[in-house]
Amino acid sequence: MRMKVDELLCTGHGRCAKFAPGVFTLDDAGFNTAAGETVDVPAGQEDDATKAMKACPERAISLAD
Amino acid sequence: MAKVNVDELVEQNDPETTPERLVERFGRDFFRDFDIDDPNLNEHFHEVIDLMVQKCPVAHSKVGTGYYVFSSEEAVRRIGQDWQTFSSAKGYIPNRPDDQPLMIPVEQDPPNHTSWRRALNPHMSPQVMEGIKDDVAREVNLLIDKFIDRGECEFISEMAGLLPGRAFFIYVLGVPVDDLPELVHDVDKSLFGPLDQRTTYHKKVYDYLEAFLKKRKDMPPQGDIVDTILKGVTYKDGNEAPWDHQVSVVLDLTYGGISTTIYALGSTARHLADHPDQRQQLLDNPEWIENSVEEFVRAYSPVVAMGRTCMKDVEVEGVSLKEGDYVMMGFSGAGRDPRTIDNPKELNFEEPTVHHATFGVGPHRCIGSHLARMELAVFIREWLKRIPHFRVKPGTKPVYETGFLRAMSSLMLEWD
Repeated sequence: MRMKVDELLCTGHGRCAKFAPGVFTLDDAGFNTAAGETVDVPAGQEDDATKAMKACPERAISLAD
Repeated sequence: MAKVNVDELVEQNDPETTPERLVERFGRDFFRDFDIDDPNLNEHFHEVIDLMVQKCPVAHSKVGTGYYVFSSEEAVRRIGQDWQTFSSAKGYIPNRPDDQPLMIPVEQDPPNHTSWRRALNPHMSPQVMEGIKDDVAREVNLLIDKFIDRGECEFISEMAGLLPGRAFFIYVLGVPVDDLPELVHDVDKSLFGPLDQRTTYHKKVYDYLEAFLKKRKDMPPQGDIVDTILKGVTYKDGNEAPWDHQVSVVLDLTYGGISTTIYALGSTARHLADHPDQRQQLLDNPEWIENSVEEFVRAYSPVVAMGRTCMKDVEVEGVSLKEGDYVMMGFSGAGRDPRTIDNPKELNFEEPTVHHATFGVGPHRCIGSHLARMELAVFIREWLKRIPHFRVKPGTKPVYETGFLRAMSSLMLEWD
């Protein structure tokens, strides 16, 4: 599973790192460190990543491919 | 203002939404002529907001130069994210007097807004707030110590009205502790005091914070948010942000965070007082407390609506807007939108992926959102440990005020 984080839409709500700390991390400003990138979701963390995707108030995270 | 046929905005042939029925039920036809300052809105708040998001997600107001209120979560998100089309630079309140100075950075657009937010965000991140959690827990307990043996408290003046001010001024701004009682008192009076005194108290708070900033200018840097504000930012025209903008940033942080968190704490306490079953859920499952915070702020948004000015002709939800039109994003409605939330009037602490616009959407996302979330979670945890069962004192009624913010000015609680 791969997920894309939209660079312009991420405004630092921080919900992603709350639900999937093993997938998404925050930079010093509280923004997703993968903003503008596509990340590979580690095996076994698909549920957490999906929760993180659904919880984003900006809908900045989407499934890639 | 674009020519409006207000009846087209409201569902046709619905007996519940005729002008006569709305006036009979709410004292005003809030769908065809919304007024955020009408006392009838305060009186019938959730009834109006819920019916509006369901049956009239685009309401119109004839007040002043007129404005629209968009309540669906989708429209609120679209307007908030598209800052090029929907500008903050003409103010976030409709019919704003021209001589009122703009608040910085909330009433700016990118890139100047971005310059401030880049500088300020690192001081307000979830990681930073995690670091002051224990301090806030101590503050909650010190406040509870003062009234727990009495078996009752006036929650707003003894807890909700004090905690956000103390948390922000001590742990974020670093104001001398000796100055706090007067400062917190003045902030409170400027928000909830007699109407004719509010401006005086607001000026007092402004003068104090400006003097505080000046004093810090002559002191060695401490690496905190105040240093960042004093260092300032460069605007796109190459000029440094002026002094009055620096003072405005402190004011914006103060007023943006304090009154809103007072309401969030008050409505949380009232909900838990009125719902013993949900209180028990949190006592049995303390790991749900963080989820519950999202539900409390979703269902009881402190910001009723925030405004933007259209920079070009644009269509939203089938409504043709003209350049210069004023639109409001109804945060209160967006958190109770049945299109995105099942049973929006019920709070569900088990559901982790909660959608709301309470902290705003887009570049103006509430900078204090992580402070507020932490304060609410710490408050719930500490309060339930010491006062697990409580109720609204019989014979009393919580007192609310409504404008662009929803506020609570009195809540009597009691326990055995």
